Amino acid sequence: MAETQKLVIMVTHGPAEPELASIPFSMAGGALASDVDVVMGFQGDGCLLVKKGVADTVAAPGFTPLRELLPTIQELGGKILVCSPCCKSRGLTEADLLDGAEIVAAGRFVAEITSATNSLTY
Amino acid sequence: MAETEIQATVVVDARGLLCPMPIVKTAKAMRELAPGDVLTVMATDRGSVADVPAWAGSTGNELLEWHQEGETFVFLLRKGEGD
Repeated sequence: MAETQKLVIMVTHGPAEPELASIPFSMAGGALASDVDVVMGFQGDGCLLVKKGVADTVAAPGFTPLRELLPTIQELGGKILVCSPCCKSRGLTEADLLDGAEIVAAGRFVAEITSATNSLTY
Repeated sequence: MAETEIQATVVVDARGLLCPMPIVKTAKAMRELAPGDVLTVMATDRGSVADVPAWAGSTGNELLEWHQEGETFVFLLRKGEGD
């Protein structure tokens, strides 16, 4: 088997745009099923998707609802990183976010992206 | 449609599931099998016709055959030597 690959998926759309909020999770699931490591980075309104309880409300026609997909991503080992200033401007602290979500800043995002096989931004 | 004589060890019923859950379920089931074991996947998501072969190719598993039964796509996969 080839050495492990890593995909970074940046999510910038929130619950107000369910399709653009769902596509990155579908891609993450596909990658993890294919033995590709996944780091999901949440910025802007994307941060709202990993606030506790919010994913339960996001479902786009034709897509697996986030209430099913997000726990699957975490179960398969997908990492969740959340933009610090974006959280601050929205009044979000680590306690508001899903268990396992980590608040980080630009340096960490850059380190993840530059060490990844590829990155996607939604 | 050719009848296959290969017996599947496990059947994954992914009917009604949407992208990417058919390959997520398939990957989970495959992890429990030994190299050479055969897995049947049933899916109704049209995307699985492209997804399952691509998944097999990128994970070192072999797609033995696939066919359609009504609205269900049936895939026969053999676990590769990896993992």
